Amino acid sequence: MAKVQQSRKTESQKAAAPLAFPTRWSLVISFLRGVKKWYVLFMITSTIVSVLNLVNPKIIGFTVDSVIDSESAEVPWWIAPFVRKAGGLEWLRQNLWAIALFVALVALVRAISRYIAEASSFRASETLVKNMRDDLFSHILRLPYSWHGENSTGDIIQRCTSDVETVKVFLSDQLSQLFVTIIMLFLSLFFMFRINVRLALAAAIFIPVIVFYSLFFHSRIASSFEKADEEEGKLSSIAQENLTGVRVVRAFGRESYERERFEKQNQLYTSYWVKLMRTLSLFWTSGDLVTYLQTLTILVYGSQLAVQGRLTAGDLIAFISYNEMLVWPIRALGRMIAEMSKAGISIDRLRYIMNSEEEKDLPDAVCPPLNQDIEFQHVTYAYENGTDDVLSDVSFKIKGGTTFGILGGTGSGKSTLMHLLDRLYDLPEAEKKDMDSQEAEDQPRAEKKDQPCAESQDLSFARKEEKSVCQGGGRILIGGTDISKIKRAYLRHHVGMVLQEPYLFSRTLSENIAITQPELVMTDVRDAARTASLDETVEHFSKGYDTYVGERGVTLSGGQKQRTAIAQMLIRRPEIMIFDDSLSAVDAETDAKIRAALKTRTRGSTTILISHRISTLMHADSILVLDHGKVSAQGTHEELLKKSPIYRRIYELQVQGSALAERRETE
Amino acid sequence: MTEEQKNQENSVRYPLFGFPKIIPYAKAHRKTILVMVLCGALVSMIDAVYPLFNRYALDHFIGGQTLDTILPFIFLYLIVLFIQVVTNFISTYFSGKVEMSVDRDLRNAAFNHLQELSFSYFNQNNVGYIHARVMSDTGKIGEMAAWRLMDLVWNGSYLIFMLIMMLSINVRLFFWLLVLVPIDFFITWVFQEKLVTLNRKIREINSRITGNFNEGITGARSIKTLVVEDRMDDDFRKDSEEMRRVSIRAGHYSATLIALVTLMGSTALAIVLWKGGSLTRSGAIQIGTLSVFMSYALSMIDPIQQIVVTLAHLIGIQVNIERFTRLMGQKSDVADTPEVIERYGDTFHPKRENWEPLFGDIEFRSVDFRYPDGDEYVLQNFDLKVPQGTNVAIVGETGAGKSTLVNLVCRFYEPTSGQVLIDGRDARERSQLWLHSNIGYVLQTPHLFSGTVRDNLRYGKPDATDEEIWSALQLVSADDVVKKMDKGLDSEVGEGGDMLSTGEKQLLSFARALLADPRILVLDEATSSIDLLTEHKIQKAIATVIKGRTSFVVAHRLSTIVGADVILAVKDGKIVERGTHQELMKQHGYYHELYTRQFADMAADMVAAQ
Repeated sequence: MAKVQQSRKTESQKAAAPLAFPTRWSLVISFLRGVKKWYVLFMITSTIVSVLNLVNPKIIGFTVDSVIDSESAEVPWWIAPFVRKAGGLEWLRQNLWAIALFVALVALVRAISRYIAEASSFRASETLVKNMRDDLFSHILRLPYSWHGENSTGDIIQRCTSDVETVKVFLSDQLSQLFVTIIMLFLSLFFMFRINVRLALAAAIFIPVIVFYSLFFHSRIASSFEKADEEEGKLSSIAQENLTGVRVVRAFGRESYERERFEKQNQLYTSYWVKLMRTLSLFWTSGDLVTYLQTLTILVYGSQLAVQGRLTAGDLIAFISYNEMLVWPIRALGRMIAEMSKAGISIDRLRYIMNSEEEKDLPDAVCPPLNQDIEFQHVTYAYENGTDDVLSDVSFKIKGGTTFGILGGTGSGKSTLMHLLDRLYDLPEAEKKDMDSQEAEDQPRAEKKDQPCAESQDLSFARKEEKSVCQGGGRILIGGTDISKIKRAYLRHHVGMVLQEPYLFSRTLSENIAITQPELVMTDVRDAARTASLDETVEHFSKGYDTYVGERGVTLSGGQKQRTAIAQMLIRRPEIMIFDDSLSAVDAETDAKIRAALKTRTRGSTTILISHRISTLMHADSILVLDHGKVSAQGTHEELLKKSPIYRRIYELQVQGSALAERRETE
Repeated sequence: MTEEQKNQENSVRYPLFGFPKIIPYAKAHRKTILVMVLCGALVSMIDAVYPLFNRYALDHFIGGQTLDTILPFIFLYLIVLFIQVVTNFISTYFSGKVEMSVDRDLRNAAFNHLQELSFSYFNQNNVGYIHARVMSDTGKIGEMAAWRLMDLVWNGSYLIFMLIMMLSINVRLFFWLLVLVPIDFFITWVFQEKLVTLNRKIREINSRITGNFNEGITGARSIKTLVVEDRMDDDFRKDSEEMRRVSIRAGHYSATLIALVTLMGSTALAIVLWKGGSLTRSGAIQIGTLSVFMSYALSMIDPIQQIVVTLAHLIGIQVNIERFTRLMGQKSDVADTPEVIERYGDTFHPKRENWEPLFGDIEFRSVDFRYPDGDEYVLQNFDLKVPQGTNVAIVGETGAGKSTLVNLVCRFYEPTSGQVLIDGRDARERSQLWLHSNIGYVLQTPHLFSGTVRDNLRYGKPDATDEEIWSALQLVSADDVVKKMDKGLDSEVGEGGDMLSTGEKQLLSFARALLADPRILVLDEATSSIDLLTEHKIQKAIATVIKGRTSFVVAHRLSTIVGADVILAVKDGKIVERGTHQELMKQHGYYHELYTRQFADMAADMVAAQ
């Protein structure tokens, strides 16, 4: 619940900023590229189909009356020239095949138009869905990392799959059906009125009744459907919980209880659906009742008119055919209208994604060389929903080309530090500059920090960048250039980061390692894998580097993943390399081996090692001790042993850990 | 979808579309099904009768220029209409009912069967797969038993009645139209086959696209740090373009089918006009009869198309039937013997009065074990005595196979050879439920069920009073967690306990285990790092719950290891070292290495906390 509210809040907040897609249609229209001509073709051909559909009964009416029944010699104006050419009515009477052929010809034209209409409608909607998916995907890729943190994965995926599907059904099936229905409605009413006004009136009275009844009904039962869906969801999660918790169920011997729980919910869900089915059946059959009553009315009233001589038999047959063509689309109309509201909601849900702002660079973003000094100046940072600062007033300097260690425990803020360096998160000022670069000036930090905080509490709809000033401040410089002025892609391209829990893509191992490379060169892949001590592991796989990783393939252990990620970084030869606790799942021996291999290979680049372990860091040129978001000490290993009590204590515990622990225990 | 599953989808074909396989589940509803089918047939018959009213009106009223029988005509029409509305209501409502009832029974059967299946099944099949068997296969089969059956009844009887009507009205016209029936069937069938193949392809691409979205969203951080947005984008576009191409191809086939079907309808109509027209002119039939034939000619095509579509559906459902019957045919690897069931009762009907108390003496006697799906022995000639009240710790890296011993103690698996003795008797001599009712189990990823806190805590002891619950909570220092929730014990924990943090869930699951007051306790400790205060509480809770019980701790935390009576170090699925902490540290072997490494990681946190 809390999550839902939160996302709603952010949605309304975002609504205050200027939106890329202010209305539903503006979003739909943006997907229409390359689609419009197919829609136009669809409209033309489906209109032809509708017209021909309605011509058919006319031909039949004419054939029955004038040719077969010879009731009236009157030939409708639009058929007259054909009839004359064919040799008059008498000739037709002798050669009925000619009429049959004509009907078949009309049918052929209609079939061809129908094919074009259907096929172009498919083409239009599939192209549109492709545009929609492509836009969504590439937009999501380029949304800031913080956006991904704020929105739940499941929710976004649902938007990208089932909401896209709903919108697709709406734009392909429903919208085109609506078009055809309306065309049919007008044309057949037109013909019906031409045949006989009174009979047409009698028939038409039923139309609004059917449409409104169906519309009313469908909007009424929508909530029942939701309720039934909800119950199904509950049932589904009982099964899910039972299966994931199978050990708990068995270990506590609660199979009977689980059975009871499931059967009870199953019964409840079933009874909801059965009730819903009864309502639906009632609706369908009462719809039938109204429809057939209408037919009866036409039949009886039409017969009466015919007996009175105001209507011919052929006309009545034609009239009944028109009516039959009308009935079903009209009955569907109510449902269609009711379901369209669903599409509106889905479009809004997609609009939320498309309206979120992508990561942007400053207009005058630069690409300076990055193998220079990195400087953190008074960096303070807190996550948007967090209350405490993750980092407070962190300042330090990393000399270009050296190895730098950062030591800190869980929650010390060391990962955030690196996220900031790679601009996964931006320091607030940087965001502000993104918005208007003119105001970029250096204000004293203290002032900036307190002042706008009070404001943003009053204005709950405050714009994001105002609010985020409260998140912190400071600057990060590389070679004297503020990183907010560096092109994001350039920066990230030259900063290699290996995470503690790396994410591998569902591709082969070699594709994963070479994912950043324009071309897959096996020698490079092998080379990188060797440095990362991955080569021996790979040899054990039957498919070697072609082993498929991830969802559909082999699951790698934590250590194997970490080593793959290291290889993935090495192949890029970045100028700044960050190892964020990325050897934690590797045993001590391999850890040492990798570090030795790295040393020879990474000469010239700046290396940042983040770790729990002093053994990983002790040979670094300089080490920073981070404690609860604050710099506790900085220096070489020897210096720190002398001046930092925390460092010394950790060192003692780790290097002589076992001995110490034993002593502790005897105490 | 794996290759194997794909092949299945193509290959499974049962006689009569597998209807006989679901008869046992439909049996209970046979009366409803009978009424549903009869009513459905009646509905179709009346549908075929309506054109006769038109004929009468055209021939008698208009042809005869009289309205003399108009009232009986209306009356009869209304009666027929009334009968149809009622039977239609009954057949659709009953279809819904049958669908849902069969559905429900199948789900219950599947769910209950799963409660008795052994762990090897759960290890070989992931939760998502099993869940789909319970929730979606059953739905498809229920749908088949009701709606697909009715589709056949409705359309089949409609077609048959129409043909009978035509035959009885005019034989010559009937034969003219009859020619079209097989042609229709053939054309629709050819296209439908093609469409089924394409739709399968579309589903496949679709799941790939979903996978892409998944990757793009869950892998956002890696994509950004690697700057591979463009590559991901390009790859996505390849999939979405293929989707577009295949869908358009499917669209082309279905558009052609629709066009052909309408063409067939018109052809039928043209034939009636031509042949019927001559008959009418020669006076052999009346105009009304001609109109009846025209109606039939136009409405004949639809049921044919529907039947073909239904048949295609039915073929598709074979897979669901196959999967469901395979699940139901699955035998449990661990089953109680008939003698044991006779004495102690089965899972759902326990005979508690015959249960002996359990003390918690456990002994492994020359146990060999390999997992049913593995080919390597993980235990060979293994002996271990665990006297009542002993604390056994099992350590090793993630994935090293630490759970094996626990699985054997809980009889989730049985030894390949050798014995596990409980209180001196082979575990197989008593029922699983007897053993399980005496075991407490705390999982590494604590598993809570949706419902209130009270429901969850009472899981192992359904009749626990609130006092007992609170005292258990206090013992494991979880009372603060519950007090802080707005409704106390009545607070909902959310699906899978979502509303609570991992640490809180862990504490509650300790309280749950404590309430059950088991003689044997199994703890699978958490690897994830939680805040230090909770960590401390959990340490205390562990010490509290294992006191006086035989306990097995799959350990990740140092302090628990240190105090254990026996430590077993597991590497690559095998127990490599065994002894107390002091003994193992002196050996300077695998345990020593593990311990030193883990300790190093903890040290930084420990110091930072001070």
